[in-house]
Amino acid sequence: MTTDIAKNKPAARGLPVAVLLAGLSIGFFVAVALATGEVAQLGGQGIVGLLQRMVALGLVALGQTFVILVGSIDLSVAALISAVAVLASHVMQGDPAMILPAILLCLGLCLAVGLVNGVLVAYGGINPLIATLGTGLIVQGVLAASFGALQGAVAREFQVLAYGGVLGVPYSILLLAVLSLAAAFVLDRTLFGARVYAVGGNPEGARLAGIRTERVTLSAHVVASLFAGASGLYLAARLQSGTPWIGRDGIYDLESIAVTVIGGTILAGGKGGVAGTLAGVLLFASLDAAFNMLGIDAFLKQVLRGAIVVAAVAIHAVRTKGHVA
Amino acid sequence: MTAAPALSMSGISKAFPGVRALDGVDFDCLPGEVHAICGENGAGKSTLMKILGGSYRPDAGEIRLAGANVHFTHPRQAAEAGISIIHQELSLLPHRTVAENIFMGREIARRGILDRAAMRETAAALLCRIGAQIDPQAPVSSLSIAMQQLVEIAKALLLDARILVMDEPTAALDERDSRALLELVGTLRGEGVSIVYISHRMPEVTAIADRITILKDGRKVWTRPREAAPIGEIVRAMVGRDLEDFYPPPPASPPGAVLLAVKDGANAALRDIAFDVRAGEIVGVAGLEDSGKGALAQALVGDAPFSGGTVALRGRPVALRTPRQATAAGIGYLPGDRKREGLALRQSVRDNALLTLRSMAGLFTRPGRGAFAPRAIDGKLRDMDVRAADFGQEIGTLSGGNQQKAIIVRWLAQASDILVFVEPTRGIDIAAKAAIYRTMRAFADSGRGIVVVSSDMPELIGVADRILVMHQGGISGQLPRGAGEEEVMHLALGLADAPQREARA
Repeated sequence: MTTDIAKNKPAARGLPVAVLLAGLSIGFFVAVALATGEVAQLGGQGIVGLLQRMVALGLVALGQTFVILVGSIDLSVAALISAVAVLASHVMQGDPAMILPAILLCLGLCLAVGLVNGVLVAYGGINPLIATLGTGLIVQGVLAASFGALQGAVAREFQVLAYGGVLGVPYSILLLAVLSLAAAFVLDRTLFGARVYAVGGNPEGARLAGIRTERVTLSAHVVASLFAGASGLYLAARLQSGTPWIGRDGIYDLESIAVTVIGGTILAGGKGGVAGTLAGVLLFASLDAAFNMLGIDAFLKQVLRGAIVVAAVAIHAVRTKGHVA
Repeated sequence: MTAAPALSMSGISKAFPGVRALDGVDFDCLPGEVHAICGENGAGKSTLMKILGGSYRPDAGEIRLAGANVHFTHPRQAAEAGISIIHQELSLLPHRTVAENIFMGREIARRGILDRAAMRETAAALLCRIGAQIDPQAPVSSLSIAMQQLVEIAKALLLDARILVMDEPTAALDERDSRALLELVGTLRGEGVSIVYISHRMPEVTAIADRITILKDGRKVWTRPREAAPIGEIVRAMVGRDLEDFYPPPPASPPGAVLLAVKDGANAALRDIAFDVRAGEIVGVAGLEDSGKGALAQALVGDAPFSGGTVALRGRPVALRTPRQATAAGIGYLPGDRKREGLALRQSVRDNALLTLRSMAGLFTRPGRGAFAPRAIDGKLRDMDVRAADFGQEIGTLSGGNQQKAIIVRWLAQASDILVFVEPTRGIDIAAKAAIYRTMRAFADSGRGIVVVSSDMPELIGVADRILVMHQGGISGQLPRGAGEEEVMHLALGLADAPQREARA
C-alpha cells in the first residue's frame, strides 16, 4: 500500500462550484439585459441594484451555512427576522438615541433564540428540523399575538443602513461583504471553523478526537440566529417599520437553505462553504432581476425558481456520483 | 520482569444492565510489545478498550500508565495521557484533506487562528515516518481504504502515543495491504510503542503478537507468550472447541450439473469473465482490494451489471440488469456491508427475513398468509438457529453472526438457486463463523450453488471447493480445493509464471 501514491487532484473545494455558479448567474443577467434592451441594468446603478437584492437573503444564508455545515438546520430564521424587524422599530420609535439599545436588544433576542435552538438540538438530541420549526412557530405566534402593542418605526438615521452609502456603494452591500469575508475566514482559517467541519463530517469521530461536539453545534446555531438578526435589522431599515410577516413572506427559511445547498454545501454537513452560498444568493438575485426585466408574472417566477432549485441540486447529485464512480 | 509495564490494568470490572461485560480482568503491555487480545464478539474486548480509551468508566479496578494511577472521564484525557485508539470503523472526514484529518480536534492554532503550513509539514513528517506516500493536501475521499487506514495511524501517532490500540485494523484490508500494515506495526514496536492488537484473524495474531490474552465471557482465560500459544490452543480457549471442525468437511459426492454459467462477462471494472458454478459447489473468489472481485459480485446480482457477455442459469440465458431481475432469476445477495446494504436495522428480525419475499410479491398478496405468516418465517429462523429473545425485536440488536443468518433465511425463503456472499464473516466471531460455514455447506449440499467473495484467504481455502483468483478485472487463474495461500497470492499479484492449475471439476 505504500507503493502507489495518492493522486493529487486539483483541490475541488467549493471555489469551482462557486465560480461556475456566479458565472452562470452573471451571464444570464447580462444576456437578459441585452435581449430586453435594458442596457441601463448593466451600468453602475443596475449592478448595485442587483447586489442589493442579495443582502437580506445573503445575510440569513451565511448563518444557515454554519448550521448546515455542522449537520443541523435552522427553520426558525424567518420568524426571527420578523421578530427583530418589529422589535427594532418598536424600541426605536423614530428616536435616533435608541438605535444602539434597539440593536443590542435585537441581537440579545437572537442570542437567546440561538441558544434555545442549540440546546434543544445539541444537548436535547431533538431533530433540528422539529426543534427549530418549534421555536420558529413560538416566535411567530408570540409576535402575531402582541403585534398590536408593538407598533413603531425605526429612526431616519437608522435607514441609512439601507439607503446610504460611500462612493456609490451602499452600506448594506459593504455589510454583506464584510460579514461574508468574516464568515469565510472563520470557517477556513480558525479553530472553530475546523471543528464545524469535523462535527458535521463525522460527529462520532469528532467526539472521539476530543472535540466537545455539543458546544460546536450550539455555537453554530447562535451564529445562524445572529445572522438572521442582521438580516432583520437590514429589512427594518429598508421598510422603516417591521411587520410580523416580512420573514415569512420572504420565505427566508427555505430560501436560505436552498441557496446554501445550491452553493454546494451538503445537507449532511461537513462539506461546503461561504463562497458557494454567496454564488447561490447571486443566482437567486439575478433570476429575480432578469424576471423583472422580462416582465414575468409573480406566479410563473415562483415556478421557474422552483425548477431551477431542483435542477441545481440534481446537477450536484450527478457530479458527486461521477466522483464516486 | 525488567521493564515496567507501559500499561497495566488490574481487576477491571464493568456491568451493563443485565450483562456482566467484564469481571476482574487483568491486562498489561510492556514498552515495545505487541500484545494481542482475542475473544469472540461479546467477550469484552471492546468494553475493555473503551475503558482504556476513557469512553467508559470501570465499576472496579485500576489503570496504571508507567506505574502511575490514572482515571479517565473523557476520551480526550486518555489521548493526552498517550493512549491512541484506532477504531474499527474509520473516523475520517471524507471531504477534508489528509492534513486536516490528522489534526482533527488537535489543530495547531494561535489565538484561534489555524497555522495551516505547520500542520501540513507535521502531517507530511508523520506520514513519512510510517512510510506512507500520501500527499497531506489530498482529500481523504480520493484515498483507498488501505491508505485511509494509514491516515488513521498517522492521526494516532500525532500525540506521540505510547500506547496504541488497534481494533481489527485489517478487517477492511486485503492480503497485500494487511502485510504492509503488519510491517508497520513491527516498526512502531521497534520505536518502543506498546501496541494492543485486537483481531479475529489468527494468522495475523500469531505472526505479530509477542503475547496473547484470551477473553471469554468477560473474564480472562489466559495470557501467554506467542510461542506457547498455537492457533489451535487459541481457538479452543476462545470457543472451547477444536479447530478441526471449524470448516465443514468437503462434500462426499462430486458437484452436479452446471447451474450458473458466465461467458465473456465484462463491464467498466471487469473483462473476460468466464466461469460456471455447479450444483453443490461453493466457488470462492479471491483477489486484492482493487482486483474486481467486488465488482464481480455486484455484476452477478445486477447491482453494477455486466455490459457484455452472457449469463445462463440452468442453461437458460437470463438478463441481470437490476437486482430485481437477479432476485427473480434466483440469485441471492449477501452484501459485505451488512449494516448499510443488507439490513433494515430498525426493523424486526422477522421483517428482515421477509424482505425479499415481500418485495417480490404481487401488489395484492395478502400479508400474514402462507409463506408470509409469522409462524412460517419463525420456523425458518429457528431452523437456521438465529438466536434472538423474540423475532419481533430490532435486528440491529443482534450479533453479526445472527444477522448474517437472518439474511440467509431471507434468501432461503425466496428459494434462490445461487447465493452470492461477500465477506460473509467480516466482524463475526469464531463460533458464529463456523455456523455460517456449515450453513453455506448445507445450502450447497441441497443441490444449489454459492459464490463467495472474500479477502480472508484461510476462509476461502477452508470453505470453497474451487477458488477463482482475480487480478485487474479478470480471472487470472483457478485453484482446486487444497491450494495454498502462496498459490492464491501468486495469481492475485498477477505474476506471469503463476502455476496455472486448471481445475475443471
